[in-house]
Amino acid sequence: MDRQHPIVEMRNISKTFGSTKALRGVDFTVMHGEVHALLGRNGAGKSTLVSTMSGLVASDTGTIRISKTEVVANGQPYATKIRDDIAHVQQTPQLFNLLTVAENLFLENPLVRKKFGLVSQKLMMSEAQALLDKWNVDIRAESLAGELSAGTRQLLEIMKALSRGVPVIILDEPTAALSNAEKRMLFDQVKALKALGVSFIYISHHLDEVFEVADTVTILRDGLVVKEREDVGKLNVELIADLMMGEKTVRSVRVDHTRSDAPVLLQAKGIGLYPVSAEGVDFQIKPGEIVALAGPVGGGKEALAMMLAGQLTPYKGKVSGSDGMLPTIGVVPTDRHASGYVGLLGVRENVAIGGLDVLSGRLGFIKVDKEAAHVGNLARQTNVICSSLEQAVSQLSGGNQQKVVFARALCQNPQVIVALSPTRGVDVGAKEQLYALLRDLASKGLGVIVVSDEEDEIAQLASRVVIVFEGKITGELRGDYTMKDLILRMEGVA
Amino acid sequence: MSDAMTGKAKASQKAGRSRLSAFGSAFVAGGYTMYPVLALLVLVGAIVAPNFATGINLINILEQVSVLGLTTIGLTFVVLIGRLDLSLEGIVGFAPMLAAVCLVPVAAGGLGLELPSWMGLVVALGTAGLIGYFNGFMVVRIGLNPFISTLGLLVLLRGGVLIVSNGRSIYSPGPALTYLGSAKLFGLPVSVLVFAIVAVAIGLVFKYHRYGRALYAIGGNEDAARAAGINVDRVIWSAFVYAGLLAGLAGVLMTGRLDSAVTTQGQGIIFSAFAAAVIGGVSLGGGRGTMVGLVSGVLLIGVINNLLTLAQVPSFYVQASTGAVIIVAAVLTTVASRRSSGVRTRT
Repeated sequence: MDRQHPIVEMRNISKTFGSTKALRGVDFTVMHGEVHALLGRNGAGKSTLVSTMSGLVASDTGTIRISKTEVVANGQPYATKIRDDIAHVQQTPQLFNLLTVAENLFLENPLVRKKFGLVSQKLMMSEAQALLDKWNVDIRAESLAGELSAGTRQLLEIMKALSRGVPVIILDEPTAALSNAEKRMLFDQVKALKALGVSFIYISHHLDEVFEVADTVTILRDGLVVKEREDVGKLNVELIADLMMGEKTVRSVRVDHTRSDAPVLLQAKGIGLYPVSAEGVDFQIKPGEIVALAGPVGGGKEALAMMLAGQLTPYKGKVSGSDGMLPTIGVVPTDRHASGYVGLLGVRENVAIGGLDVLSGRLGFIKVDKEAAHVGNLARQTNVICSSLEQAVSQLSGGNQQKVVFARALCQNPQVIVALSPTRGVDVGAKEQLYALLRDLASKGLGVIVVSDEEDEIAQLASRVVIVFEGKITGELRGDYTMKDLILRMEGVA
Repeated sequence: MSDAMTGKAKASQKAGRSRLSAFGSAFVAGGYTMYPVLALLVLVGAIVAPNFATGINLINILEQVSVLGLTTIGLTFVVLIGRLDLSLEGIVGFAPMLAAVCLVPVAAGGLGLELPSWMGLVVALGTAGLIGYFNGFMVVRIGLNPFISTLGLLVLLRGGVLIVSNGRSIYSPGPALTYLGSAKLFGLPVSVLVFAIVAVAIGLVFKYHRYGRALYAIGGNEDAARAAGINVDRVIWSAFVYAGLLAGLAGVLMTGRLDSAVTTQGQGIIFSAFAAAVIGGVSLGGGRGTMVGLVSGVLLIGVINNLLTLAQVPSFYVQASTGAVIIVAAVLTTVASRRSSGVRTRT
């Protein structure tokens, strides 16, 4: 079709979340009928950029033109204005579990609507079945979305977007939960729609997919464009890795405190990360070691961490300490808002619930003096800044909330600390303080397990990196690995 | 010079205000919000109703609220963890009734067991505890929403009372069962002492015991409590058991005061208990509430009922005005708590 004329034009897009500048004046253009891959490391701003494009997140500045609709952004929502021009498939499926497949596919779709807003059940069912047949998906239109497998759900989300008849479609990590056969199906559909003039913005961590489907590549780094509209043929893996990495100054460096001669602190033998996984996973950690679990989303790194922490029961196999007894383990959960802190309660009470065993006497009453002293020490150790230890944690800044969660995890005087996404949504200053804290803990002989998506974070902390993919350990980096090794492993090309 | 003066004055003014606001926050957080209102009511009562501010009447109020008080404390166990238990009302009626029919002879409406009088307490509290255990099982193991599971049980227990009693009230069920609700010690009704002791003991547990800390943590954020290593399921389950036991004790006091197990015993008490809890600043969303506040809610309801009766307000109006007062008081506590802490709660 008309590959000379842009269908999406974004100029000077910026977005700030709290103290983080996610996008800093980005220009982005997509032509008619092209598949445009958007690359960059985690936190580079890819998802934020496409979210400002679909209006899921409102841009703070700049202009956005999609097809014939033009929006001047000022931080106010504009998603409804461009709704008919763009579809956005997010990383995690946004389906209604209690509605049927057909209802999910045709929600708010004028195609099945009649007079007075009545929805024709018959038409909806037949359209849905036709769509499922076209994609060769073997499910019934009347099954509930909640009953489907992760891959099918993802596919359904993509089908929904692709069948809406919009000229621009965003696919953000569409293949994360798909099997190889499902991926093939997706690529075929993308190519077919592309031939009809539909444009795609494609985000993926798998560079091989990018080379397969994309025409054009734009690379982001730290909220800025570092390579704009490069033809995919002119790029190779090495070049892309260099561009994504940049010459970023690393703020602090990792120190290896591993006590290799000491007995193992915590070990897993043959544990199953998924209900059906055939192979077991082995893992062990020594005192003073900082191990990072890395790998793609849904690959099993969180499951492994939660099983090591004793928060999840392995589907098979066993987690134990060196002498058969489990060591004391402190946990920093992934999402501090959902499962980290108790917003209603003050700092003191939040920290103390992590160590009720240590702080209470024989009858179970809390020793108030001991509590005050212990919590005070932990708050100092983790650098929590609050007006008083009674201040409600919901009133603290993100970084301080996270420090409270760390203090809670340390309250029981653990031998192992398991931290999932330890610095997500935390500003740079607090990040460095938390890294220093983790290194300090390792130097005191604790075993530290970190789950992270950020290469920088891993490189600054971990003396060993374990790559978890599809429920298995697929690789390991030790000692003096380079940033490039790490990026290539995490992008799944090495 | 003058600039420095004004600056200083401003600073001290600001410090004064922040000290005041800190005091206000602590006042509300501690659960003292309703005490000024309570004091005002007592003052007004003393003026408008000459019989109100007498020692006998005040003790009378305390005796009347002790049943409601124990039920509210029980309810607070489950409300603090963000659940609720409607069946407490059923327990207040059923547990003492079952005990009574086990004690009295067939001629007096009993089952013919004629257990010794002290067994009455064991049967009543044992039944109450078992019902609480069943509620915990339904919520934790089966995964029912406590609203529906305890609503069903409430209706079931109401019918159960009629079944075991054959629809008749049981009079004079035995001295051991009625002692707590009818006897006096040092000039005070034993029921008031029981309420006071339970309130103080459980108040300390809420504030200083690891179990209390776990209740607040679970109510505030269940997943965070789990991540902190608290055995969430066990705490939830046991909260239902404690709630049941306290409702059973409340029922025993009521039976003692009336010297009989009445078939309609406890009807409507769960509504008053919810009202007392909310007035006292206990958040129905869980995670927030103090014993000090809860007691203020219970006292407020007791004083209002008593005053309206003494003022010879027709009984139809008593009920309606109690409802109106509940709404006003709930608005007051909710607004006060939001203003003072900036933390939004679901009342």
